Amino acid sequence: MKKLLTTLIAIFAMLSIFNTVKADYPEKPITMVIPFGPGGSHDLNARVFTSIIPQYLGNAIIVKLVPGASGQTGTAMVAQAKPDGYTLLFTHNYVDQLQHHVKKLPYKPLKDFVTVARINYAAACMIVLSKSKYNSVQDVFDAAKSSGGKLKLGHSGMWGATMVPMAQLLSWGKVSANLTPYKGGGPMVKGLLSGDVEAVLHFPSVIKGQGNKVKTLGCGAKEKSLGTPPTFDELGFKGQIGYMDRILMAPAKTPPERIKVLQDALAKLKGDKTFKKFMGRLGENMEFMNGPDYEKIRAEKSNNYKSLVKQMTKG
Amino acid sequence: MFESFLNAFPLLFGGGSFLNILFVISLGLLIGLFVGALPGLTTLMAMAIVLPISFFMDPLIGIPFLIGVYKGGIFGGSIPAILVSLPGTGASVATTFDGPPLTKMGKGRKALETALFSSVIADFSSDIVTILLIGPIALIALLIGPPELAAILFLSILIISSTSSGSVGKNMIMLATGLFIAMIGQDPIAALSRFTFDVFELRAGVPLLPMLIGLFAIPEILINIETKTKDFIKTKLNLNKEKNLTWNEFLKLRKTIFRSTIIGTTIGMIPGVGQVVAAFVGYAAAKNSSKNPEKFGKGELEGIAAPEAANNAVNGPTLVPLLTLGIPGDNVTAILLGAFVAHGLRPGPELMSEQGSIVFAILMCMLLANILFLILGYFTMPIFSKVVTIKKSYLIPLTIIFAFAGSFVFRHNPADLYFLLFFGIFGYVLKKLEFDVTPLVMAFILAPSLEYAFGQTLSLGDDNVIMFLLSERPIAALIIVSTPVITWKLWKRSKKLRDVATTITSKQVK
Repeated sequence: MKKLLTTLIAIFAMLSIFNTVKADYPEKPITMVIPFGPGGSHDLNARVFTSIIPQYLGNAIIVKLVPGASGQTGTAMVAQAKPDGYTLLFTHNYVDQLQHHVKKLPYKPLKDFVTVARINYAAACMIVLSKSKYNSVQDVFDAAKSSGGKLKLGHSGMWGATMVPMAQLLSWGKVSANLTPYKGGGPMVKGLLSGDVEAVLHFPSVIKGQGNKVKTLGCGAKEKSLGTPPTFDELGFKGQIGYMDRILMAPAKTPPERIKVLQDALAKLKGDKTFKKFMGRLGENMEFMNGPDYEKIRAEKSNNYKSLVKQMTKG
Repeated sequence: MFESFLNAFPLLFGGGSFLNILFVISLGLLIGLFVGALPGLTTLMAMAIVLPISFFMDPLIGIPFLIGVYKGGIFGGSIPAILVSLPGTGASVATTFDGPPLTKMGKGRKALETALFSSVIADFSSDIVTILLIGPIALIALLIGPPELAAILFLSILIISSTSSGSVGKNMIMLATGLFIAMIGQDPIAALSRFTFDVFELRAGVPLLPMLIGLFAIPEILINIETKTKDFIKTKLNLNKEKNLTWNEFLKLRKTIFRSTIIGTTIGMIPGVGQVVAAFVGYAAAKNSSKNPEKFGKGELEGIAAPEAANNAVNGPTLVPLLTLGIPGDNVTAILLGAFVAHGLRPGPELMSEQGSIVFAILMCMLLANILFLILGYFTMPIFSKVVTIKKSYLIPLTIIFAFAGSFVFRHNPADLYFLLFFGIFGYVLKKLEFDVTPLVMAFILAPSLEYAFGQTLSLGDDNVIMFLLSERPIAALIIVSTPVITWKLWKRSKKLRDVATTITSKQVK
């Protein structure tokens, strides 16, 4: 009996050694840095998919919020991390593709990071108060023109997810306006509700919660939940505008086979019922895009931002 | 609205869910209490971590759970502030003025009980006010835009600076220093780097927590080492043997608690101002109306009750913009927003009109949380007392460990330890030179919001800000006009008090 026991233990021990030697990535929890503060849409989306991913990945993804300097602190942390697939970055296109055009960064986003996947995107829509006299994006442009650039519009932070598309729209309409910054999306909506500013861009999930207090004039994408307002594309603006891509990035030197493991697990989320249920509740889409596909549009977006920044900062 | 209020009752008490609610709130309170009590771990982090757990619970289980963590955490943060002068957040800074002196006098238990009772009473009353006045509070929130906020913040900084204990000149120096330190990093409007000298660690600005711990805990430790008298080394601190707060002592505090509750609730209605200002204004008001203002800062129970009641009274009204307009006022409410949204309930006008009963049920859970907290807090106090039932000589090294560990755990950033050391030494020098660091901390915490609101006002006012204020912003204009008058009156009053205090202290010293 004793002998049997020792044999069993020995076999078990050997197996476990064997296991650790052949262990597949990920053999320990992965840290995912979000360079923004708690409670934002990145935090929420991340909390949802990280609570479901373990069953497909075989290990957990731990969210770590590292806000500061408009995303630079967290991004720098991942840029300096060991590229072993255990430190990832969950960010968005404006930090990834625009920021290096406006400030000196201690890392090169396009070279130092590679896309694992785009989890989803949110497309900004232009909203005004329901009682506003503006009924189309063109109305807003016309008002901006006749006010001599003094029409009050709001955005949620310099070079951020609602400021950049607003600037793009204005530059496309060949008008200028008074752009007042707000400390995030919440205060910006308050500014609109109290009449401090006349129009803002925001994301469908938030707009829906405002019920019939606001009306939507146009959106970056088809938004059925908002009664399918015209898309900016239909209005004549060519090229993707107002998309905030929630992208999962890895340090560029991360072994490709590990990135593949992550991509395979993330791709399975789409068929997951719990994931679908939660994303539905958040009001977010599940427009997953695999890393290589996203890489194709990444450089192009960066170039578009570059010319926008040039145009904005020269005047 | 009244109907949805009535419908909230079956939601809470029906279907046997009531016991579950009680259980999760208690669980949340305990988690919050322990996390809040550990220096460096913030309530915010605890809430962000438990947020996904709430996704998988019923909304009326998950959200009360988070509310429990939140309420427990706020009080938890006061424990190290009272016992070892380690403020975990800006809101508990004012508690470090009288907490540690009381602990040294062997009245730590009384101080903790005062904090618990005043917190719970103030929170409970402010929640009731919130339930009754949810509509009007929402309207006030819309009236306060960037110009009003800028004016209010500017006034608050001046009020607090002019009622601090140092001389006016020194207070103004501290105020300016605080404003300057707050400017290091990115400017809030255009996101350009300022005063960073190309040091990347400075780009995100000076971190609050290492700075607070540095300014308050380190000088305290150094001064304790300096004055190591025999009794300090030998005596044992044992909170379990200390006397409880007596009924008479409590009755003496009722005015202070009442005053602070009103101050806190009012400040809570103004979005963007928050707990820190409430705590300081509550403290200043208590000191100003006290018959013995010279005792403040040397171990006065009122000095605990005032900030603790004021900062907790903010909690109720801050939820209103979130629930009625769908706009989170701070990080904590942003996380609560997340919990709502994950259950398919997006706060805002729509939720209020269609599922108002859920909103009221959640507000009632806050009342429940207060009652539960009174009980839980009272019975867990001996546990915390055990932690500090040690020789005082161990307390100093232990505090040093907590100060460093706390600063590091906060962001896991080694640079924070340099910040801690710098502000520790800086705080010690300031203490030796008899500077009061309150204006510095206040200015540092409020400057970013003030600067932002100021920049927004300039932007909204286009070319002519003065005309804009006069024609469109009467409230802001009124506050600005009254600022010099209020400040001058307060300054004169507190100067008188300070003169009295200096004569008394100088007599004691001599």
